[in-house]
This record gives sequence, C-alpha cells and structure tokens, in this order.
Amino acid sequence: MTSKKQLLFAYGLAIHLLLVGIICYAAFPVKAPHEPIRIMYQTTAGKVLFDHQTHTTASGYGASCFDCHHHPMDDESALIACSECHQAPAEDGSKPERCLDCHDESDIEDTQMISRPDAFHQGCTECHEQFEKGPQPGSENCSKCHVL
Amino acid sequence: MNSKKTLIVSHAPFWHDGSGIPERSYNTIIAALPAAFAGIAFYGAPALGVICMAMSTAIFWELLLNRAMRRPITVGDGNAALVGLLLAMLLPASTPWWVVLIGTFLAIVIGMQIFGGIGANPFNPVVLAIAILSLSYNHYLDFDSGLVNFALPFSSSMAPLATLKAFGPEAVANLNLMDLFMGKQVGALGSTSGLALTIGGIYLMLRGFIRWEISLSFIAGIYLTAMLFNMADPIRFAPPMLHLLTGYTLIAAFFLATESSSSPVNFLPMLLYGALGGIMTVLIRNIGAYVDGVIFAILLINLTNPLIDKIRPKAIGKVA
Repeated sequence: MTSKKQLLFAYGLAIHLLLVGIICYAAFPVKAPHEPIRIMYQTTAGKVLFDHQTHTTASGYGASCFDCHHHPMDDESALIACSECHQAPAEDGSKPERCLDCHDESDIEDTQMISRPDAFHQGCTECHEQFEKGPQPGSENCSKCHVL
Repeated sequence: MNSKKTLIVSHAPFWHDGSGIPERSYNTIIAALPAAFAGIAFYGAPALGVICMAMSTAIFWELLLNRAMRRPITVGDGNAALVGLLLAMLLPASTPWWVVLIGTFLAIVIGMQIFGGIGANPFNPVVLAIAILSLSYNHYLDFDSGLVNFALPFSSSMAPLATLKAFGPEAVANLNLMDLFMGKQVGALGSTSGLALTIGGIYLMLRGFIRWEISLSFIAGIYLTAMLFNMADPIRFAPPMLHLLTGYTLIAAFFLATESSSSPVNFLPMLLYGALGGIMTVLIRNIGAYVDGVIFAILLINLTNPLIDKIRPKAIGKVA
C-alpha cells in the first residue's frame, strides 16, 4: 500500500504530464518542411529512403534543384514534388490535378506523362551512372535501394 | 560452516527501513531520465510530447483498471509512470498520440493488470506492448519512415540495424562507434544514447535496484554471439560492437531484461537468462526476419524464467 502523499504525487504527475503532452502535440506537431529532408517512398518492390537534404546541400552532393525538378524550368520557388505530375495514368484519361492548376486540360492533351517509377528509375540511375557513385543500375541491384 | 549470526531471526516488531516499491520506481525513472533527455535534445518537443503522454496515460490506465476491478489504487507506487516512460523511450519521436495511448493500454492493461498487477506479470509489460505495436502498427514504429521530417546531425540518416539488415555490414562500416555510443544514430527517442543508459544502469546496479548478473550476461551474450558470427563470415555479419551500441541493446540490458517479476532471482538462472537473451537477440538480428531482435528475445526469455529459476540452492536442513 502506498501513502496518500505518494498517491497525490502520482495524480499531480499524471495531470501535469498530460497537459505538457497535449501542448507538445498541439503546438509542435511534426510537419513536413517546405523542402523535404528525407522522403520514404512506399513502393510495391519495398520502401526506398531518399535523402533529399544530402543530395541538395553543398556539404552533400550539391545537386541543383533543376538537376531533377525539370518543370517549371524558370522558377525555383514554383517547383513541385515529382509525384504530383508523375502519376499512373488515370483510367478516365484525366490529367493530374496539379497540372490543371496552371494549364488547361486541352493544352496538355497530347503530352505523355511517364509514371513515377519510370521517372525515378530514369532520373536516379542516369545520375548515379554518370558519377559512378552509390547504387548502380541493373536488375541485380534492386536491393541497393529497395528495402522489403 | 555457516555463520550462526546470519541464521538468527528475531521476533516482531521489525524495523522498516522505509524502502519500498515507490522508491524503486522513482529511482529507476531517475536513472532512465538522462537517456530520455538525450532524446529530447535530439528530437525536441515531439519527443517530450511522447514521453509526457505515455507517462500520464499509463497512470490513467492503471487508475481506471484499479477502479473498474475494485482493487486498491496502486498508481502511488510509481510503477505505471515507469512503464510509461520506458515505453516512450522505445518509440520514435514521431509517434502519434493515439499510438502512445494504445501502447500504454497494452502495457498496463494487457501486460500487467489482467495478470494481477505489479509482481504478477509473466512478461515485461513494456516489451509486450512494443511487440504488439510493432506487429500491428509497423509503419509508426519504423524509425526511418517516422523520422523523415527531422533534420538530424548524424553521419547516417538511416537506422543502423535497418541499414545492416537491408544492405549488409559494408553499409554500416563507416559508422563511428563513439558517435553511436553518444546517441548520434537514428532510432527510438530514449534508447540511442549508450552513455546515458550506461550511467543509469550503473546507478541502478550500485543501488541494488537491478541485478548486475542479468545486465552483464545479456551484454556478454550479445557480444560473444555476434563475435562468433562475425568471425565465421565478416562479409555477412556485423562486428559485435555495432550490435552492442545500436538498436534497443543497452536499454534492454539495463532497463528491460532486468524487470523484477519476469526475471529470475538466483545467481546461475540470472546468468543463463541474460546470456540467453543476448544470444537470441543476435540470432534474430543476423538470421531472423526482424531488424532488431531484442523485443522478441526478451519475450522468449521471460517465458523461460519460471523454468530456469528452478535451478536453486538446496534448502538447509531437512524435514524430520
């Protein structure tokens, strides 16, 4: 058996910690920053962790935004995530919503959009092959990026 | 010849030295706090939120169960707060509040209260809760997925054991062991700082709240098994120091495997219990399916506890 003092201490502890916990969750939620730090892609061939920050910072690989983000080419602040355009083709033929923010559907009617896996496989492997660093292309190297 | 003095039992009334479960619980909380503070230093307010939410909800669950089962209120002994803190220390800082709430429910209600409360639980309640959470909500307990939005000043942005499992020892060869010991690794919010955990563990051992036999044999079990694997095939299996300084190893050695009601009390059983936990951990990590074997290894040794505790000294004297 515990004393009344110990019981009151436990009640006080629970109430104060609950308040601090609620404040921390409400005031400091974990938000995705405007420029991603790391991105975890959940794919059918396993998850792929992409370290965006290491690729872009000068102390990392120093890649320019436009080395990967190729649209729009003239405005760094208007760059969007790859998967907003590179999506699997919709069954009804409609274009990704993000595209329609700037374009009329008729403007992009004939534009072929490659899917996200194809875009990543092309973009990532091209660069890695060029610099001969990190995971190299090849059907035997899937597990160098994909983690099941 | 036994000393006659040690065999003398005087009659009541006895003097109580004032120690009890609250003293043990709060001392263990104090010992665990440096590692929790290290987590708050790395991950900020979200880590503090997880810790506070876990400790408070664990107390509330125990209070609720005490009232529902019409049993004496036991939250004053500090054990629920300790369970909440240890549970939080095994979670990533990004854990949503409702996962914390479910976790403390699993630990306090499923892990402990339905068996009769403190002292009656066959499994470590914290470990049981983490095992259920990691099977049910794997995505939220995945450190690499959960911590993508945290800018961490570490040399590797991937959890070391996950890297080891996916890409082999070569991918973790460049990790600095001192950095790992100082907690500079992706992982749970309170289980990465080896230094803080070791200080807490030594404090508990010196005060007699945990038994050194379990902690040291657990560490020795991990080291020796990992060393044998590494000697057999260094290309496939990581060196032993990496296993010691990553994942849940040190928090398990000092805070999880030593939980009193699910661990043995005699000398040889304690050594066997700890060593078995260490061996199982490395077996699961090296040839099993899971990234970190500590959780399932501890559940397994909890299961062996009643059996190996049968190895005990013969009673002195005999029945006439």
